[in-house]
Amino acid sequence: MSEILEFWGEWLPTLLDGLLVSLKVTAASLALGIPLGLVLALAVKAKSAPLRIAALIAVEIGRGTPALVLLQFTYFGLASTGLTLSSYAAAVAALAACTGAYTSEIIRAGLEAVPQGQSEAAIAIGFSRMDQLRYVVLPQGLRIAVPPLLGFSILIFQSTSLCYAIALPELMSQAYSVGSNTFRYMPILILAGLLFAAICIPATLLVSRLEHRLDRHTR
Amino acid sequence: MIQTPILKPGPRQDGPHPDHAAAGRPQPSAPVVRIENLVKRYGAYVALHEIGFELKSGEVVAIIGPSGSGKSTLLRCVNQLEQPDGGCITVAGQRFEGGKEHSRAALDTLRRTVGMVFQSFNLFPHMTILRNVSIAQERVAGRSRKDAEDRAMHLLARVGLADKAGQYPARCSGGQQQRIAIARALALDPQIMLFDEPTSALDPELGLEVLAVMRELAESGMTMIVVTHEMRFAENVSDRVVVMADGRVIEEGPSRELMRDPKTERTQRFLHAVRDR
Repeated sequence: MSEILEFWGEWLPTLLDGLLVSLKVTAASLALGIPLGLVLALAVKAKSAPLRIAALIAVEIGRGTPALVLLQFTYFGLASTGLTLSSYAAAVAALAACTGAYTSEIIRAGLEAVPQGQSEAAIAIGFSRMDQLRYVVLPQGLRIAVPPLLGFSILIFQSTSLCYAIALPELMSQAYSVGSNTFRYMPILILAGLLFAAICIPATLLVSRLEHRLDRHTR
Repeated sequence: MIQTPILKPGPRQDGPHPDHAAAGRPQPSAPVVRIENLVKRYGAYVALHEIGFELKSGEVVAIIGPSGSGKSTLLRCVNQLEQPDGGCITVAGQRFEGGKEHSRAALDTLRRTVGMVFQSFNLFPHMTILRNVSIAQERVAGRSRKDAEDRAMHLLARVGLADKAGQYPARCSGGQQQRIAIARALALDPQIMLFDEPTSALDPELGLEVLAVMRELAESGMTMIVVTHEMRFAENVSDRVVVMADGRVIEEGPSRELMRDPKTERTQRFLHAVRDR
């Protein structure tokens, strides 16, 4: 047992470097992807038919394509058209696209859960369409969407492990390379799993706490 | 239906009508709301069949009738929450023809002229009560935060809820929420107030506090259209009663007279049924 701990101690800094990369990719993908999701959610409900159809196609492609395919496409696929991205940029682009497509559905559901009477009240006091969204529908709809959005964020963090396929030195790739150098896959993969869990389990608990707090004014 | 052709269709449907230079302040005798041949359909279902009536400034009209008779639909057509398919509604000199698109400017003016109170209150749950009453003044009327909040506090005091200003709507009873909704609707100084069954979602004793505010408002000279099942309010507070059934106006007249001595058999049956409860 002490031998395993020693092995973990030796390689932990390498895995922590990888964890940092995973967290950075997650943060960047969410920072780009969730606003994209909001734009897509609004576009899917737009009056203009071309806009609506374009947004629907984007969402369905994003949700219909496995994240691994998106990653390979942005890294290897685009390179063959002359657009070469670093593995970090490709990872962020692919996961942001995936985040945008999935969160647009989460946000749309949140917006649609705001009772019709809220919009009617806003119209009746003369709000413009923009103000209806900004002051009445978005604050309530996004609040409804926050817990599932955070849940999705945890999934995206876990999906960063797929980036090992495009040579991004994230947590999973680091563990894999340690394994192939030392031929001790089992202990290093367990350590990688523990590091994922060390982020995901507290995050999940935090989400459910937050869910409770957000209900304060409405219950 | 007797109608004097004071208002001919203007050359443009939007913008103030030339015949009503003083559109913001109608003469006491001039109709401030005129509904002509109003038609509303939902697919093949006709919700309103050529409805017509008028409302003078300062008048309080109660609309009564069985559920499904089109009362709420009619009310929602007055501020264009529902777009009528035919006929015409003139509000404070501005014509809104059914089946046509209206300009943003015309709708903005309409909604500042007409306040509305809903059956389910529809307060904004994520805003404090003060904010519920002040926000439209800032966003729509362009008042400063301070002016808007002063006015909001004045209105909340008028409905007896100034002490609740900092709280959220969920902390208030239904009756209090509806009084706040009235304050919110009054915040843009409307000329006309629409009430869509304002007490139907309330326990009777909570309904009374709302009715008291409405009575006070009526006595202050506000022009009001009230869709209601409160027969006492219709009889004692409103000046006129309009009875609707199956999307038609079946009877209208001065409230006491109509409520005590209804002319049509359909109205008699309806009044009999609701009073027997």
